[in-house]
Amino acid sequence: MAAPELLSDEGYRADGRRPAELRKIRARMGVFAQADGSAYIEQGNTKALAVVYGPHEMRGSRSKALPDRALVNCQYSVATFGTSERRRRPRGDRQTGELALQLQQTFEAAILTQLHPRSQIDIYVQILQADGGNYCAGVNAATLAVMDAGIPMRDYVCACSAGLAEDTPLADLSSPEEAAGGPRLVLALLPASGQIALLQLSARLHQERLETVLEAAGQACRALHAVLDRVVRERLREVTALLGD
Amino acid sequence: MAPPARYCVPGERLCSTEEATAGSGTYTRHGFIFSSLAGCLEKRSEDSGLPVVSVVRDAESQLLPDVGAVVTCKVCSINSRFAKVHILYVGSTPLKSTFRGTIRREDIRATEKDKVEVYKSFRPGDIVLAKVISLGDAQSNYLLSTAENELGVVVARSEAGVQMVPISWCEMQCPRTHTKDFRKVARVQPQFLQT
Repeated sequence: MAAPELLSDEGYRADGRRPAELRKIRARMGVFAQADGSAYIEQGNTKALAVVYGPHEMRGSRSKALPDRALVNCQYSVATFGTSERRRRPRGDRQTGELALQLQQTFEAAILTQLHPRSQIDIYVQILQADGGNYCAGVNAATLAVMDAGIPMRDYVCACSAGLAEDTPLADLSSPEEAAGGPRLVLALLPASGQIALLQLSARLHQERLETVLEAAGQACRALHAVLDRVVRERLREVTALLGD
Repeated sequence: MAPPARYCVPGERLCSTEEATAGSGTYTRHGFIFSSLAGCLEKRSEDSGLPVVSVVRDAESQLLPDVGAVVTCKVCSINSRFAKVHILYVGSTPLKSTFRGTIRREDIRATEKDKVEVYKSFRPGDIVLAKVISLGDAQSNYLLSTAENELGVVVARSEAGVQMVPISWCEMQCPRTHTKDFRKVARVQPQFLQT
């Protein structure tokens, strides 16, 4: 099978990036006034929106309330116009259900849930345009939204994908690179402590290559952390200026 | 204008636990204090030794009722065994979304608990000052109590729709029709009364 070249002879990828280079990131916090916290992020052509409500009283069945910590309820959906072919079901299929569960596990590791027992925190992630790294963009947007809502967190959660082209690890895969069929590693990292919240691998990867790909993903997450940190500090300055303090 | 305060983000290491104690908006790990909110750093010096380090946000995030807090609630339904209420305020801060609470029959009064009739203490629509006694377990809501002189009904409307005037700890009178109704009335402190 003649796969399209992931890496040219000069060492450039199909979209002109270097192997370890991330796509251009634009992010905004406080997009919606009605929600407790919201954020919008663009990573290249992937656009993700996250909205956070909470902590509030348990809705629905009260028996699911945890006596010592808050319940994190996540929903992940891809807009019908988000992919190149119109999607029939924005959510409710197995893949989005699994991604929602992964979001929940990731954020339960980062949010200090012991501070709000018997309450619920809702995180809704909507992918407006899916061009590779959808779940990662969702996690990054959700991190900013949770911070915007003022929910105490242990650290940022920065997520990035990484792959392999021959022997060179690639960071932040775009949609054509993901479709090429090579291994895809998704890493969600808490940068300050270096703890991993989520690690997922699709396709096959040789054991000896795991270290290099993991390292590349880790570097990409730390670079992403620097960008998100700038966005958060800018937002803090903006909010303080608006409130006239 | 005050000088710009130091901003911190979640995960940022502030100082070690030997230099200060952790306040709100922070957590401790491996002997260091880290920030858990995105906001301004505040250092308050306590008389008893170490200063307290906390992170504050400009917009107040959601406050949850805690055990022992005095809350303002509205009665939504009554029963021969308890009254169900919506908690509206915690102290003096309004809640963005209401919480459900329950006042059991035996928690309405401090004395003569078994002679209490819920119908003669609360009615749907009354505004009640109560104290949280329990966060509740898996099945129940917040448990509240009005078993103190300062707790109980503060605002009640008579059947004519007019706000009633309290005449004793257990009775209120409608100023228009002069009918008396039974309620468990709160003895509000004089400094909180507005004339």
